[in-house]
Order: sequence, then C-alpha cells, then structure tokens
Amino acid sequence: MTISREKKVAYGVLVGPAVLIYAAVIIFPILFSLAAGFTQWNGLSTPQFVGLDNYVRMFTDPVFRLGLRNNLLIVAVSVFGQIPFGFALAYIIYRRMVRGHAFFETMIFLPITISAIVVAKLWNQIFSPRGLFTELMRIITENDRFVLTIFESRTFAIVPILFVILWMYTGIYMIIFLANLQRIDPGVIEAAIIDGAREHQILLRVVLPQMVNVVFTTAVFAIAGSLKSFDLIFAMTGGGPAHYTEVIAIYMYLNTFKYYNYGFGSAISMMIVFLSLGLITAVQAVFRKLEARYV
Amino acid sequence: MSDLTVGAARNRDVIAWKLFATVFMVFFTFLTLAPLIWLFYSSLKPHPEIVRNVFALPKEFHIRNFTRAWEIGSLGLYTINSVIYTATATLITVFLALGAGYGFAKFGFRISHYLYTFFILGLLVTAHSVLVPLFILETRLGIDDTRLGVILPYVAFGLPFLIYLSTTYIRGIPDSLEEVARIDGASYLKIFWHVIRPISAPAVATMTIFSFVNNWNEFVFVFVLTSKQELRSLPVGVNAFAGGMSRDYGLLFAALVIATVPMILFYMFFHEQLKKGFAAGAIKE
Repeated sequence: MTISREKKVAYGVLVGPAVLIYAAVIIFPILFSLAAGFTQWNGLSTPQFVGLDNYVRMFTDPVFRLGLRNNLLIVAVSVFGQIPFGFALAYIIYRRMVRGHAFFETMIFLPITISAIVVAKLWNQIFSPRGLFTELMRIITENDRFVLTIFESRTFAIVPILFVILWMYTGIYMIIFLANLQRIDPGVIEAAIIDGAREHQILLRVVLPQMVNVVFTTAVFAIAGSLKSFDLIFAMTGGGPAHYTEVIAIYMYLNTFKYYNYGFGSAISMMIVFLSLGLITAVQAVFRKLEARYV
Repeated sequence: MSDLTVGAARNRDVIAWKLFATVFMVFFTFLTLAPLIWLFYSSLKPHPEIVRNVFALPKEFHIRNFTRAWEIGSLGLYTINSVIYTATATLITVFLALGAGYGFAKFGFRISHYLYTFFILGLLVTAHSVLVPLFILETRLGIDDTRLGVILPYVAFGLPFLIYLSTTYIRGIPDSLEEVARIDGASYLKIFWHVIRPISAPAVATMTIFSFVNNWNEFVFVFVLTSKQELRSLPVGVNAFAGGMSRDYGLLFAALVIATVPMILFYMFFHEQLKKGFAAGAIKE
C-alpha cells in the first residue's frame, strides 16, 4: 500500500513547524558551538582553528575548576538532598501520616512558581546584615553584631546557595515521588500489614524496591538541572565574590558576553553538555548494577 | 508473640511514625512559607521601619512602596511584556507540540522515531550552550532586540517536554476513533482539529499551564538577546531594579511581591494541573 500524498502533506504540516524551529534554535546552534569551540574568535574576526587549546585552557584555569567544584556540589545537594527529602515528604503524604496533607503538599510545592530571580533577591535580603536570618542569629547567639561571613570564604561561600537550591526545588521531587507512589497497588501494602509488617518494613521492602526506576529518573533530572543552574546564582552573587560562587554556566557567560571570547565560550558551553552526558551515563551504569542485584 | 502484643507494637510504631512525620512536615512547610510571609508583610513597611525591626508587622499598610516601585521600576511595562512573551510562546508551543505529537503517535512513519528521539535529547540541552550561536544568528537575521527573537527560543526550548507529553497522551487514544472519521472521508488535518484536539483537552490543559509558568519565569533569553529597556520581561526588570541605585528595602520588597503575586494567584487555581505536568515527566511506564 502506498502512503497517500494527503497523509504525507498532513504529516509535514503537523510536524514540520516544530522540527523547523527546533532545528534552527537548538540543533544548528549546538553544532555551531561544537565547531566554534575549536577556534579562537571574538565574534568579528576570522575564527582561527586552535584544536583543543580552549579545553586545555579551561582545565588549567583555577576559576573554571572552582566553578566545576561548585557545580558538582550542586549536583550532590540535588541528588543526595532533594531526592531523599522529596521522597520522605511524598511518603509521609502517601501513607497519610499527617492530617491536612493536601495543605502541606500545596505549600511545599509553591516555590516552583516563583521566578529564580525573585527567590535570589529575597534570600539575599534574608542573609543581608539587616535580614531575617541575621537578626534571628543575633537573638539566638546573643551577639548583636553577628553578620554572615560565610560569603567571604572561598570554601564555603556556596553553602547558602546550596541551601536556597534545596528550598526551591525539593517540592518538585516530592510531587514526582508522590505521583509514582500513588501508582503502587494498594493491595500489596494492605497484604503486608495483614501479614504483620511494621512501617519500616513496608518502607524498605515493599515501597523502596518499586521506586528504584523513579530514583534513577529523578537523578537524571537533578544532574541535568544542576549543571544548567544559572539564573539563581547569577542574581544572588553573580559568581562573586572573587569567583567563589561561580558555576560553569556563569563562567561561560562572563567569558563570552563580557570578554568576547566566543570560541572559548562555545567550548565551555559544550563542556556543560559533555559533563551532563558523562554524569548521566555514570548514573545509568550505577543503576544497572543496582537493578541487576535487587530487582 | 501473641496477636495482642503484635498489635500493640504496631500501634506504638504507627504513633512514633506519625509524630516524626508531623514534626518533619511542619518544619519543612514552615521553612518554605516563612520567607514568603516575611516578604509579603515587609513589603508594606517603609524602609526605616524595616531597618529598625525586621520582624515587626507593619504598623499601617504602606501602599506607597507599591505605587513607587511600579513607577520607578517601569514594572507596568515589564508586566505587559511578560504577558506578551508568555501568552504568545505558550500558545505557539502547545499548538506545535500537539500537532507534532499527533504525527509521531499515529502516522506510523519510520522517521517519527528519529525525530522524536531528537526532541527528547533536547531535554538535556541547556539554554547556555546555544546562547552564543543564537545571539550571532539573531544578529545576522536582524531579529535580535525584537519580540520575535525572544519568543522563538522560548518556543524551541518548550517543545521537547511538551512533545513528550502530547505524544504519550495521543498514543493512548484508541485508533478506532480516528478510523471512523477516516471512513467518513475526513482528512488528517480535519481529524487533528475535530477529533484529536478535543479529546486531548486534559493534556492540553496540563501542557498550557506547565509552559505558562516556565515562560513567565524565563530569564536568560531576554537578558542576553535584548538590550532595549522596552523589551525587558518582569524577571529581567526586577533583576535590574534590585541591582539598581535604590537601597530602599520597602521598594525592593514591593517589586518582588509584584513579580510574584500573579504566579501565586495562578498557582491557586491551577496547582493540580501543574503537579500533573511535573509528575508526568517521571512516571515510570
């Protein structure tokens, strides 16, 4: 049977525009970045092919390494903070351990609607010398000259940002886990209770094994999302002071749009994609092993 | 152990869990809400009052913060821009994603598989990896510093997830509905509009709301691809306002509240759909 001309035309009309926009705005620029990453170029000059120089330069730059470290910390907080907290909250709601769970669920998910810029400015204000946190600490420590000095520490300046990231995004993971928990056959849990299973046994033996795939999916989300983080940190600290809170996306932004190193900037942006793919592949390998052992 | 002691142990167990759960939940909710509540009531205090005592509730509603922030920060203009960007981009993205979803789910063409995978891979691409070439491309085409130049990347980056949602949903629609319409002699495009689109209404609702929130909060495209003040969106405008000359906390808080209130209202009405959107991304098949 030959496919009718009408069907082909309809397919083109339905799928074509989406493919066209997607190719023009994402696929073509990505390929362009990949190529530009091997050149030295300020956007106006003729690009000079420099091989892997940009990538070498990146890894020898202490600022990039600090950014990479900060990015990996964000990944860690997302995977080992947001996912377990999100799961714990979802489990509490799913097992009806609190009254008024709908209220709690709605409130914890709320920050997702607020722009990262607003969140950044709000928390800056909270941590400022006249902020909520500072004044609270002054009362608790009985030191009325307390100020948050952590932002001036090369090692720990990122910590308040990690906290805000946890504050902002844990609700998403709660919602994802809750949706998946609600797909578990309730009969299985009832049967376990009739058999005399205690709550921790239900959690560890009945529920968690069914969540392995979901933990994997959320881990992929968390990694991809973490490496992209830009808005929040850009609006909170701009990567400062002295690059202490810089992440790779901000490093890319500054090099490209402030110093006009388009070639170098392209290489950095490709690095974000490579890191994303690398980490996700690693996570996938870990989960294959886990699945082989437990499922 | 007799049944009775097992039952008693279980009861004690349940009480301990409930206690822990309640403490954990209340603590987390308090932590989520306290900063927002503080923001809202502080926005009604004049600057000196905020500096004198950060905790105190406003003595009277200092509405002037809002009127002045609105004026000085040109927030009216930025709100209009945000509405234009968000509404246009959401409408286009949902429409294109629904069409593509129908094509991928029901036409049975081999190319669909490759195109679909291509879109799904897009979920990993960060906006930043295309900013440079996109900026150059838009400059060459002369659409940098235009509304079109902002809306195009909004649409492109919205497509992967919405196509995932629409394709999954339309796959679940029974083929028989389409076949009946075919026998009646309806064209594919007619079927799309009169059969697929109405049946997909619940998916369209989720897609629209999800896309709306994302577009409203989008920052980097307007920030990088435009330089004219008249084109700023609310997040970009608020960022500029907060980094500006004014050290008046009352004004700053009012500006932050203005940027937040529309989304909180939106959330009150549509949070169920929004949850569906986020959850759909990670439902195991």
